[in-house]
Amino acid sequence: MPKQIRMPKLSDTMEEGRLIAWRKRVGDSVKRGEVIAEIETDKADMEFEAYTEGVVAQIVVEAGATVPVGTLIAVLRLPGESEDAVVSAEPAAQPQAASTAPAAKAPAPTAAAAVKTAAPAPRAAAAPSAPPAALHMPAPVAGPRVQASLVEDDGRLRATPRARRLAEEKSIDLGELTGTGPGGAIVVADLETYLAELTAQEPEADGTRATPLALRMASEAGTDLEGLKGSGPGGRITKSDLLAHWKREKSVGKEREAVLFRGALQLSQKRKALIRNMVRSKAEAPHFYVEMDVSTDALREVRDQANRDAGDKRVRLTYTHLMIKACALALEKFPSVNATFRSEENDIAMFDAINIGLAVDVQDELVAPTVKDCQGKSVWQLAEEANSLIQRARMRKLQPGDYADGTFTISNLGMFGVDRFYAIITPPQSSILAVSAIAERPVVRSGRMEIGTMTTLGLSVDHRVLDGVRAAQFLAEIKRLLEAPRELVQDGHGFGS
Amino acid sequence: MDTASAANALEFRRLGRVPYAQALELQEELRARVGQGESPETILLLEHPDVITYGRSAKDGNTKQSDTDLRRLGYDVFRVNRGGDVTWHGPGQLVGYPLLDLARHGADVHLYLRALEGALIGALAGFGIDAHRREGYAGVWLDERRKIASIGVGLRRWLTLHGFALNVNCDLARFDVIVPCGLDGVRMVSMASVLGRELDFAHVTDCVEDALRKAFG
Repeated sequence: MPKQIRMPKLSDTMEEGRLIAWRKRVGDSVKRGEVIAEIETDKADMEFEAYTEGVVAQIVVEAGATVPVGTLIAVLRLPGESEDAVVSAEPAAQPQAASTAPAAKAPAPTAAAAVKTAAPAPRAAAAPSAPPAALHMPAPVAGPRVQASLVEDDGRLRATPRARRLAEEKSIDLGELTGTGPGGAIVVADLETYLAELTAQEPEADGTRATPLALRMASEAGTDLEGLKGSGPGGRITKSDLLAHWKREKSVGKEREAVLFRGALQLSQKRKALIRNMVRSKAEAPHFYVEMDVSTDALREVRDQANRDAGDKRVRLTYTHLMIKACALALEKFPSVNATFRSEENDIAMFDAINIGLAVDVQDELVAPTVKDCQGKSVWQLAEEANSLIQRARMRKLQPGDYADGTFTISNLGMFGVDRFYAIITPPQSSILAVSAIAERPVVRSGRMEIGTMTTLGLSVDHRVLDGVRAAQFLAEIKRLLEAPRELVQDGHGFGS
Repeated sequence: MDTASAANALEFRRLGRVPYAQALELQEELRARVGQGESPETILLLEHPDVITYGRSAKDGNTKQSDTDLRRLGYDVFRVNRGGDVTWHGPGQLVGYPLLDLARHGADVHLYLRALEGALIGALAGFGIDAHRREGYAGVWLDERRKIASIGVGLRRWLTLHGFALNVNCDLARFDVIVPCGLDGVRMVSMASVLGRELDFAHVTDCVEDALRKAFG
């Protein structure tokens, strides 16, 4: 007698349960104690086990559905029972059974009738009005033994013994076949059709041999079959081979990942923004680069002199401060550099202010606070503002406004002994200046070799905004200001003050 | 007699920080032994390294990142047979895995969930934290929006697996990659965030153990 499986009551207060997943499908054999489904109530998942051995004859409630406790969810056919012994479903679940039940009032079909007649007639016995007991139809006594023996206890595909033997002889993967025999069992005729297909199959261009199904699966998944060993007819790669290959790859992949990496870093929001910006910049802004060597002898003299004159009254000027001032002056002179390409408007817009960003590394995090409104400010004022920003950056006390609205950026790797480098432009800016180490180098002046202190400036430029000539002129202006630096420390330069 | 006394005892094991996979293996092994009467019912108390686990009802969209991204961010990722949606475990969170045979505790899964919640609520009260159940949502809550402990269990026959996770001192930002338990607008809190001070983890573990002993011992 088929075993009905119902939504279990896992609690006095449980009224309904959700069928999360079926672990078995129709036609699968089930051993006692094997999990057939997962059921959820509240926050508890129950692995639902079979209490008897059998074959899943019918799944009544699909995964994902929530049904009341006691609802029939599946029917299990016990060993030795034929398929026809299994009555469709709970009356309520299939009310249409009534209308297609010409024999509803007929006596329970005899075993012979159950075997011979097509499904509707015996099923009609389970008339909607009938009590559940009516479902317990007598199993056909002289059941078709051949069908019962089709069912494999180990969950293998249903096939007749002859078909199974033939498949083994011919190295056929039964998983590739659709059975046309009783209950979907694979019969010898199915194998013959399949073999005929294989014979007709054109060899692949690269000499790979695989069954049509395996070929299709591999191409859908983008799997390269080369080098894979086939166990099918004529050494063909079969579905099973492919599945085994995928399983292997998956586990190897995991192991490899474990070997390759020692760990991973969590990205800060700032880092994520930086990654987005840099990728966008390199993808959208066509960068070109110009480079100039700059003598810094005079710059050092001016810096030292200014610091001496100022004594303790002012902040100590550094090369960075002088760079900021030089860039501010050059940007004032070249407003076309202090500009951005706007793709939506398809134009080049000039920034109103000159806001110079300073790339600062704070404990492995790159930030670029901006010195705002540099135009007209003295080097001393710029120095104070820059110092305050850098100090706050180091204390991680920067406010979002502190690194917003930059129109130009200076990146300095001089302290790390870098001789020359190029930076990536920070959108929406159009250029960035890379400052390298100041060091003694041989220089040729008026036909004579001398030793001078030098640095190299590298300017990255967005070609959408500037052409080479303008970039060269702009960089030459910075070089001129740094090599003749008096102008940089004059308090009264520019507007007012 | 021996089996009977073993069956009646409730054992606690404190494991310290254990990787998720290892703890799961131990749970399954112990559950099998409890089921066969070879081991007393056991409650494992432990911490996990950073890990995201998906319950069987987890829906897409309740993590904001792919598994690969999560791994890159330092989270391990698992899909497990427990009730509930997605959750995070990690340092500073007290995780409890009771391996019980509910047949000995009333054979009622809802009773079991309520008993777990009750034990945690009792333990929290000892720290002056006023926590509650929330109708229809397993777990321990401070109010409708703030959740302090998650619960998700798995059953095979009446043998339990998985359990609860109580936020003690954990870094709540580590929850940010998920929508806790698939509930939008719910904020995870910890004992430390509620009390404004770091707690002695071992002491909290003691108190939780006492409460669980009362409930299931």
